[in-house]
Amino acid sequence: MSDTAQISARARRALLLAPALIFLAVFFVMPLADNSARSFIGEEGGFTLARYASFLTDRFYLGVIAETVILSAAVTLISVVIAYPVAYVLVRKAGRLSGLIIFLLIAPLLTSIIMRTFGWQVLFARRGLVNQWLVTDLGLLDAPLRWLNTPGLAIAALVHVLVPFAVLSIASVLQGVDRRLEEGALMLGASRFRTFFEVTLPLTMDGIGTGAILVFMIANGSFVTLVLLGGGFQTLPLLIYQQFNTTRDFALASTMSTILLVIALACLWLQLRLVRRQGV
Amino acid sequence: MTDAPSRLTLTAIRKKFGALMAVDNLDLSVEPGALVSLLGPSGCGKTTTLRMVAGFETPDSGSITVGGDDVTRLPPNKRGLGMVFQSYSLFPHRTVAENVAFGLRMLGASKQEQSDEVRRMLDMVHLTGREDMYPSQLSGGQQQRVALARALVVNPRVLLLDEPLGALDKALRESMQFEIREMQQRLEITTLLVTHDQEEAMSMSDQIAVMQGGRILQLGAPNDIYDRPETAFVATFLGTSNLFEGEVSADGSLATPAGALPLPAQKAPGARATLSVRPERIVLGEAAGALPQGLSGRIVAASFRGSYAAYRIALDGSATEVTAYRQADASLGQTSLVLGDRVAVGWPVEHGVLVTTPDSRN
Repeated sequence: MSDTAQISARARRALLLAPALIFLAVFFVMPLADNSARSFIGEEGGFTLARYASFLTDRFYLGVIAETVILSAAVTLISVVIAYPVAYVLVRKAGRLSGLIIFLLIAPLLTSIIMRTFGWQVLFARRGLVNQWLVTDLGLLDAPLRWLNTPGLAIAALVHVLVPFAVLSIASVLQGVDRRLEEGALMLGASRFRTFFEVTLPLTMDGIGTGAILVFMIANGSFVTLVLLGGGFQTLPLLIYQQFNTTRDFALASTMSTILLVIALACLWLQLRLVRRQGV
Repeated sequence: MTDAPSRLTLTAIRKKFGALMAVDNLDLSVEPGALVSLLGPSGCGKTTTLRMVAGFETPDSGSITVGGDDVTRLPPNKRGLGMVFQSYSLFPHRTVAENVAFGLRMLGASKQEQSDEVRRMLDMVHLTGREDMYPSQLSGGQQQRVALARALVVNPRVLLLDEPLGALDKALRESMQFEIREMQQRLEITTLLVTHDQEEAMSMSDQIAVMQGGRILQLGAPNDIYDRPETAFVATFLGTSNLFEGEVSADGSLATPAGALPLPAQKAPGARATLSVRPERIVLGEAAGALPQGLSGRIVAASFRGSYAAYRIALDGSATEVTAYRQADASLGQTSLVLGDRVAVGWPVEHGVLVTTPDSRN
């Protein structure tokens, strides 16, 4: 009897999951598989790794991968450094204001990324608001500055989008740190500064790790921000877009997509390991 | 342990949280090397008092001194005190040895000194061989010992214990009570213990301060407080007590609903008074016939508690019920009592204690 109950419970669970799974299979897994498969099929229709071999030995393409990773790493580092104090204030100091802070953090995420990026354009265009303030209103500069198409602005815009993810990851772990542990360290003669580095920071490393991987993954695949704000970066997503739309070399684009996917999966794997270690 | 033990004093300490007076004009002096308990129900201000001594809260007024130094405004890390928390607060990301060495490392002790001291402390708390384990791999009692070792390794001037045994089961709690007390006396370390457990306070303390509403109601040695409670609250919080309220009549006895009861001391006729009698002082049956109270009643509840039996007796002619304990020892020649038995009830007059009640005070 318990056997049938178990089977029916399992069947019910499968039934509940079916719509989501079918949707994902048709609109996510199949196109992805199709796309990746294309990169392994040679001109004559046989299996080939030639594209990967040439891509991964080409200095230009390796440079693009390196630039993608370095840009993402920079964005990640800046985001985490900005996010930690925010998370700390949110959890430890905000009290009744914490709801407001969470709202302010999440509100930008409710706006489409394209709108937000246009916002940066409006602010920082040659005749944009910031230049108007600096030149006309405050008279600090004689000529408007060129903001668009600088690496700094692109990085700033990416950080702006991604900081909330880092804040929320760090805050959720910081929330679970027992204040008594910090009091214990203080009683043993550690200053507040020392207590932070000896107790609080090590105990929130998992939150930093999770947040950093999340930010890194999203930055790695970021496209809209870099297209609209420029910055002179040549990253994988931009190159893929070029191959599809300009060069129309679908096979090479698929190869690059697969490589980007592998990087993302590697990050996911790292994140799962982190989470699993937490669970022990 | 070369330093002489320090005296801890609290003078006129007040602390308000919003409208709530958490600690109200509290004075306390802990003799060098003594263990004093702050005992009371939750919300009585005992934990706030401890946290002010530790430095986690600042009193609104008053001063705290340790070994003669005023520490009232010093941060916790500059006070040179040790503390054991109810939840132990061991660092989960550090091994037992690293936990114990933490305080020494903060003091800048050498690696050699750290490992020597850690070994000595772990030996003292019987945890040799667990150096490389993590706190989560230890039992509650073992974590408790690590916490104690970690607090004591820096040779603190005062040890603060915040409900240190609250998370342990009863059997372990009793053996840890003895162990901590023995260690505290051997090291002659001035100690302030916060607890709501009256047994813990009685078995471990040189002195108990019973607290209620942010004040110390009574301070004294455990047996003094138990035998001579000054207030009804102390009489009932520390152990169990039978309270008889009434008015002193012209003949010097107390007129209560249960009857006229002789008092252990002279009291002006007309005054209201409350007499407290411990259950183990109550005499039941034939032996009570010779006692002056002349009460009798019927047993309405009886329970066996191992070394003794507890009875509730409804007194004749009133709604008063009396609790009595009787040693379960056949060699005393006592006949065993059962539910429904009629018995005479009394007590030697000197075992009654006059206490104040909230409405008889001023």
